[in-house]
Amino acid sequence: MNENFLHKWKSQVKKGTLAFIALNVLKDHEYYGYELIEQIKKNTRIEIAEGTLYPLMNRLKKEGLVTSKWVEQTSGIPRKYYTLTNTGEATLSEMSNFWFDLEKSIKRIS
Amino acid sequence: MKPIQFTNQTAQKIYSDYITRIKRTTQPLDKKDQEEILMELNSHIYEGLLQLDPTNEIENLVNLLDKLGAPEEVLKPLVAQKKLEQATKTFNPKHIFKALALNLSNGVLYIVFAFLYLTLFGFVYLIIAKILHPNQVGLFFKEGKFHLLGIRNSHQVKILELTEVLGYWFIPTMLFIIVVLYILITLLLRMKRKKFTLLHSITMYYL
Repeated sequence: MNENFLHKWKSQVKKGTLAFIALNVLKDHEYYGYELIEQIKKNTRIEIAEGTLYPLMNRLKKEGLVTSKWVEQTSGIPRKYYTLTNTGEATLSEMSNFWFDLEKSIKRIS
Repeated sequence: MKPIQFTNQTAQKIYSDYITRIKRTTQPLDKKDQEEILMELNSHIYEGLLQLDPTNEIENLVNLLDKLGAPEEVLKPLVAQKKLEQATKTFNPKHIFKALALNLSNGVLYIVFAFLYLTLFGFVYLIIAKILHPNQVGLFFKEGKFHLLGIRNSHQVKILELTEVLGYWFIPTMLFIIVVLYILITLLLRMKRKKFTLLHSITMYYL
């Protein structure tokens, strides 16, 4: 087995699917950044460079897939909560269709 | 942003250094974006520490910051992208050059754009040359047909029987061309940014 190739391939797949994963985690729930990362780690066992999530969320927001709001806390350090928009939900649904089709195709040939 | 208070002095120092690095990295952005990024990362650090045993402040903080990553690396794509948005929105040359410099590593196309902007200086140079050598610089025609836009020495002008047709109108004409090209290139840059944003999100952010 080529460990190096496998490692690179896994890392590419992770990079390519992080947006899909983050949107899925936000599907039924709103989360703030730290919590979102914890949820991703808990549900997918994917170790992500945590800092990269914030540029990603910024991108998703700019694309109109999520919205965010600051919620004041008693600590004085507010949390920024992310929620899926209607566009986000519709896009995610199409992404899921694509994903399942891809999965079916791969199963057929493997 | 409300800073986090640590009981341990060293932890406080490590935290302050990290915050300073975030501030330094996001400096090219406008104040609102700077504050937004700072507040969000500060919240991440605060929430992360809450989950951990407070007796190991230094160890917890170092681990947390390590997982978060170096601000210079993690925030670079975000800063480059925001700067580009700002630059193409305002048409401000200062922002455009900063944005291009930040984005140069992100693809050949940005190098092409930097080159296009640089060509504008060619026209600026022609204006200066026109002031210094009015007879040798201009829009030259030969026998009623276009020959050259630029510089020809007096000797060649005579031999080739060239006529400079613009005179001192050359300067306002060049200024006009510079402005039009500047707007055109910036609009192209804006289009390019919009067209490739999704692609960028995949290629840039998770490398």
